Amino acid sequence: MIRRGLALLGSNFLQASEILGGVLLTLWRILRAMVPPRFDGPETWMNFYKVGVKSYPIVILTALFTGAIMVIQTGAYVRQTGATGLLGWGAGYAVLAEIGPVLIGLMFSGRVGANNTAELGTMKVTEQIDALRALAIDPMHHLVVPRFLAMVVMLVLLTALGDLFALIGGALTSELLLDVDYRVFFRGVFESQLLGEYYTGLAKAACFGGSISVVSCYYGLSVEGGATGVGRAVNGSVVTSAIGIFVFDYLITYLVNTRITG
Amino acid sequence: MSQEVVLRVKGLGKRFEGVCVLDGIDFELRAGEIVGLIGPGGCGKSVFVKLCCGLLTPDRGEIEVLGQSLRQLAEKDRQKLRTRIGLSFQNYALFDFMTVGENVAFPLAQDGAVAAPEIANRVQQRLNEVGLPLVAGLMPNELSGGMRKRVGLARATIANAELVFYDDPTAGLDPVTSSKIFNLIRDLQIAHRSSSIIVSHDVDRMRAVCDRYVLLYDCQVRFSGTADDALLSSDPIVHEFFQRDVGVDLSFRHDGGPA
Repeated sequence: MIRRGLALLGSNFLQASEILGGVLLTLWRILRAMVPPRFDGPETWMNFYKVGVKSYPIVILTALFTGAIMVIQTGAYVRQTGATGLLGWGAGYAVLAEIGPVLIGLMFSGRVGANNTAELGTMKVTEQIDALRALAIDPMHHLVVPRFLAMVVMLVLLTALGDLFALIGGALTSELLLDVDYRVFFRGVFESQLLGEYYTGLAKAACFGGSISVVSCYYGLSVEGGATGVGRAVNGSVVTSAIGIFVFDYLITYLVNTRITG
Repeated sequence: MSQEVVLRVKGLGKRFEGVCVLDGIDFELRAGEIVGLIGPGGCGKSVFVKLCCGLLTPDRGEIEVLGQSLRQLAEKDRQKLRTRIGLSFQNYALFDFMTVGENVAFPLAQDGAVAAPEIANRVQQRLNEVGLPLVAGLMPNELSGGMRKRVGLARATIANAELVFYDDPTAGLDPVTSSKIFNLIRDLQIAHRSSSIIVSHDVDRMRAVCDRYVLLYDCQVRFSGTADDALLSSDPIVHEFFQRDVGVDLSFRHDGGPA
């Protein structure tokens, strides 16, 4: 029993080490491919469009509901205490520093990261990656670097956009459900000086974007087998990306708060 | 045919998860030569081709392509070398996010040395040659398997590479189209003085284009020589393979001589 438990623990540890090693190696290869800077222009722009422009409706929807939920959660206490000025601060703080980037990151991982893994995985099993190499094209330059850049840049921009819509969602909810004037809500946000939280949220988004892109590319490029392999890779990519999001969230929150509290 | 060797393989070995695929393969291809690589399914023909293109790394042995040892080349230099090599994949490997025309034009467009109008002309000309004059604007998934195969062939040969590998170029094609494809390979070889390796099971039709055959069997080179050499071989495996595929009755070999 103990031996079996230890064997299971060891095998899981080896599997996790293999994934971590593979992800770090992929990151190293991406960074190496970016020096000196030499980008495939059309492919990069196409990825910016695919990753960013096509994702903004779902991000806006997620953000509107996130802001609204924050206001509903704090609404009961605000009503009890009559501290309506705190509504904007509470919702703004939670949305800008924490909930906004994390939820948008998870949504982004499910939509863009999973799609990226499936696309690269299918290219791998149908030998399209080999075909690129046979045609003297480096898949890192042509496929992976444009995706990495697009995901990092676009997740930051989408989070900035999402923050705005989350606050709009919060303001609308406070006005319609709690009878708190939206100007009071926004005054609460701006007077709380949440610029630091806003920048922290954007820094988190950049890290989440990097982590989702590296993880999804690693899983896509290491697909083995046919359709089953692609399915397994997509599953692994979404789970590992989610873990990456929470690890980066923890680390950045810890670093920022350690700096503030000394 | 020149005596210059464009591909030299020495003691090549490759295993996958402990299973031997190639073991101690020695092989030479001379400039302008067309060699038919034959053997039973799963005997490592495609692996051999991928090793020669540097897409796989051998466990042991040396591969020298166009005078350069693959082992000693960095990936960047291998890429440069691959611009001189063409490869037509067994499973087409067409880029499904590009049109047929873009697929065929891709090697030239990436190279950047040929102007766009010239690329368009060459693409149309090559598509005409493979018997697909009207498909440039279609997506690969709108084509049949045989048509995709021919598009893959057009893409592999558009840059007029010095060394071209055709991995089962006629699998799934009808006999008439197969003959046309083999004739096209021969025409390209004559026009561009390229050297080629054709992986195929269609030994009968290969006779029209191949100068020599190499039979891979049980991880090793079982036979290397012309079709006439094969007919004279005393090896029952070579005998069986060529008899079945070429359609020539070689049963006299068992009796010690022709009837």
